[in-house]
Amino acid sequence: MANPFETLGLVPTFALEAAVLEQRQRDLNRALHPDRHAQKSAAERRVALSRSMDVNQAYRSLRDPTSRAEALFELLGVDSLAERTATDPTLLGEMLEQRELLDEVRRNKDATRLATLKANMIAREGELVTELGSAFDPLLPVGTGAVPTSSRDPHVLSAQRLLTELRYVRRFTEEVAAIEDEL
Amino acid sequence: MLLDIFDPKAAPKPIGIDLGTTHSVVAHVRDGRPVAITTCDGGPLLPSVVHYGDHGQVLVGRTAESYRERDPERTIASVKRFMGRGAGDAQLQALGTYKFAVPRSVEEAKVVQFDLGTESRSAVEVSAEILKSLKQSATEQLRSVGGAVITVPAYFDDAQRQATRDAARLAGIDVLRLLNEPTAAALAYGLETKSSGTFAIYDLGGGTFDITILHLEDGVFQVKSTGGDSALGGDDMDRAIAETLLRGMGFDVPAQAPKAVIGLVLAAAREAKHRLTDVERVVVELPKNGGGDVSLNIERSEFEAWIAPLLERTGRAARRALRDAGLVAAGLDGVILVGGATRVPRVRSYVGELFGREPLSDIDPDLVVAYGAALQADQLGRDSGETLLLDVLPLSLGVETMGGAVDRILPRNTTIPVGAKATFTTYADNQTGFELHIVQGERDLARDCRSLAHFTLKGIPPLPAGHARLEVSFHVDENSLLKVKARELGTGVEQEVEVKPSYGLSDEQVEQMLIDALDHGEEDFELRRLAEGRVEAARVIAATNKALGADADLLAAGEEVEIRRTLTLLDQAILPNSPATASRIQALTQTLDDLTHAWAGRRMDRAFASALAGQDLTSVASRVEHARGVDAHLEEHKKSSA
Repeated sequence: MANPFETLGLVPTFALEAAVLEQRQRDLNRALHPDRHAQKSAAERRVALSRSMDVNQAYRSLRDPTSRAEALFELLGVDSLAERTATDPTLLGEMLEQRELLDEVRRNKDATRLATLKANMIAREGELVTELGSAFDPLLPVGTGAVPTSSRDPHVLSAQRLLTELRYVRRFTEEVAAIEDEL
Repeated sequence: MLLDIFDPKAAPKPIGIDLGTTHSVVAHVRDGRPVAITTCDGGPLLPSVVHYGDHGQVLVGRTAESYRERDPERTIASVKRFMGRGAGDAQLQALGTYKFAVPRSVEEAKVVQFDLGTESRSAVEVSAEILKSLKQSATEQLRSVGGAVITVPAYFDDAQRQATRDAARLAGIDVLRLLNEPTAAALAYGLETKSSGTFAIYDLGGGTFDITILHLEDGVFQVKSTGGDSALGGDDMDRAIAETLLRGMGFDVPAQAPKAVIGLVLAAAREAKHRLTDVERVVVELPKNGGGDVSLNIERSEFEAWIAPLLERTGRAARRALRDAGLVAAGLDGVILVGGATRVPRVRSYVGELFGREPLSDIDPDLVVAYGAALQADQLGRDSGETLLLDVLPLSLGVETMGGAVDRILPRNTTIPVGAKATFTTYADNQTGFELHIVQGERDLARDCRSLAHFTLKGIPPLPAGHARLEVSFHVDENSLLKVKARELGTGVEQEVEVKPSYGLSDEQVEQMLIDALDHGEEDFELRRLAEGRVEAARVIAATNKALGADADLLAAGEEVEIRRTLTLLDQAILPNSPATASRIQALTQTLDDLTHAWAGRRMDRAFASALAGQDLTSVASRVEHARGVDAHLEEHKKSSA
């Protein structure tokens, strides 16, 4: 499948405003959604369906910052994970600690503490997203036919590190949501 | 208004149907506005009750309702609660007047059967009777009825949806779309008030609860998230009251009271619930177990305490839906109430507390869903409609992995239509087949989710564990129908299945029920196929001619001649006195379809480019350039789906 930025006709960037993305999804679905072609021939409805599916799939991957970063790495021709560098031990230690706190909150059914943990992580997610934007900026726009970006480019390394951290934070907030459902 | 002049060639009019737990409604659009059609009961609301008489006659609506106390076991109310459910379902344990047939085999246990004494009926067949009655009323009023949009609770799973489709098929209704009830309500509100913004729709019906968060802008109704409980509604409130009344009458175990008594008490409970909307206390006179009468008091505050746990369940689902939409209650522009159970004052005040604002209920909560369904049916009947509904998957779709866990391929609340892929590998050496189990639901273990389908990909060459790579792709179309394709990447071995949930009734069983229902089954079936073939052909001819008028410049050399030649043949085949068979018409329609496929792709690229016109010129240019490769893309598509 084509790169999601291309599918939506958007210039590749990490700092993508949600409103811009949603507007684009609406506009394209208004043209391509099979319901807009309900009276046409089967061939046209099929093509409309396939296009609309691509649009919604692209929207889904760009809406989420982690998969948006992955799409940019793919455009840059580098892996989204740093090859030989292990995850920062400080980050790992800290995440383990946060996990333990979360387990404790779950056992004690402590909704107030849960809300605090959640708020902290969401704030952190916001910071990481901003930093990722700055890390990707110097790498873009991707030139056509240019040599792939070096995987040792310091901006690439920094973006990879931030993405790893964002994934951890994400997993944490998902866990928080699951606990919220339980409480 | 113009006089309705009888025209035998009148175009079939699309209708919208709200097939509710307590009431059902059919509506259509006249002069751009939704109107409810008068049912056989003389009003817009048809009680969703079916009575099977002793001599084979079937009654629906208020007349059927009158048998609830006299003949409770042959009178089925709230059948919607049993759609898509099996004999082991917890729904069967709830207090009620039903008598269920004891399944004689595992196969039979898949579908709930109501024991009518001499025979039994499935929920699908009972629902079909309600739909037939509604269609009959619509036909009397509109003369010619086209396809129908039928609403279902947003939280219905695929088995419940399939059961609804089957019921429509049995009733001879062509389903244009199954539309989610809260989305239908939002459509009616949005078009009525011409508003925009983000709304929560709180829909508490007789047997189901849905919560939907929806954003409305530029005529696009985009569902952000949806959630609910497909076994929670006004019926549960009635049962809470009825259990207390039965104890007061001297039945210490309410469920063991005689069915006729339960029927009587449920009716009294429902009435008490309605009266408690206006008064603080009601007194109910009921016969005492063992003789005599007893008069029982119910305070509104008691009733409110009984329903508090039910409301808490709705609150939990609502909070989750808000979170899934990435919103807080303060970010909403309005809260809309739908469903008869939202008339209960405590429900209203609870919703007010939950969202921190006064909810809206300007449109009759009993009719608003059918209005929305009629509007959507009207929109689907033409391409130039101003609105578009973008709905979501209500439940996550995934596959079972080693150890019985679920790997989610498409999470809930993903906008449809949509596709997604995931890659799996073998866990044993020389494994030559993959067993795929497709499931639906939010639980972590496959056995706690709804099982949708099993299929096996065979013919993989023996390889060491972890070497074969299986790519599984999910495709969900605009009707929420799921297709799953599995491909081994090394060898290209692939298999595709259209996932039809096996809730119990097989295709053959439904077909047989249809044939049984007709006097000259086989013969009528062929005639119907011919009629349907002609209608489809006429539609394709019109669409192709229109496309030729607009986009003939996009035709490649030679394409136009072939297309026009096939058009002429098809045109002749559907002339009134043409001897062409259904198969011949279908074959020609198919040929025309194949001939126009690549052209359709180019036309869609043009639509894409004009959708972006003036927005972002550089990216449009690159996209249009890419679009020139569309024929290659289609070739590839054909290959991969062949």
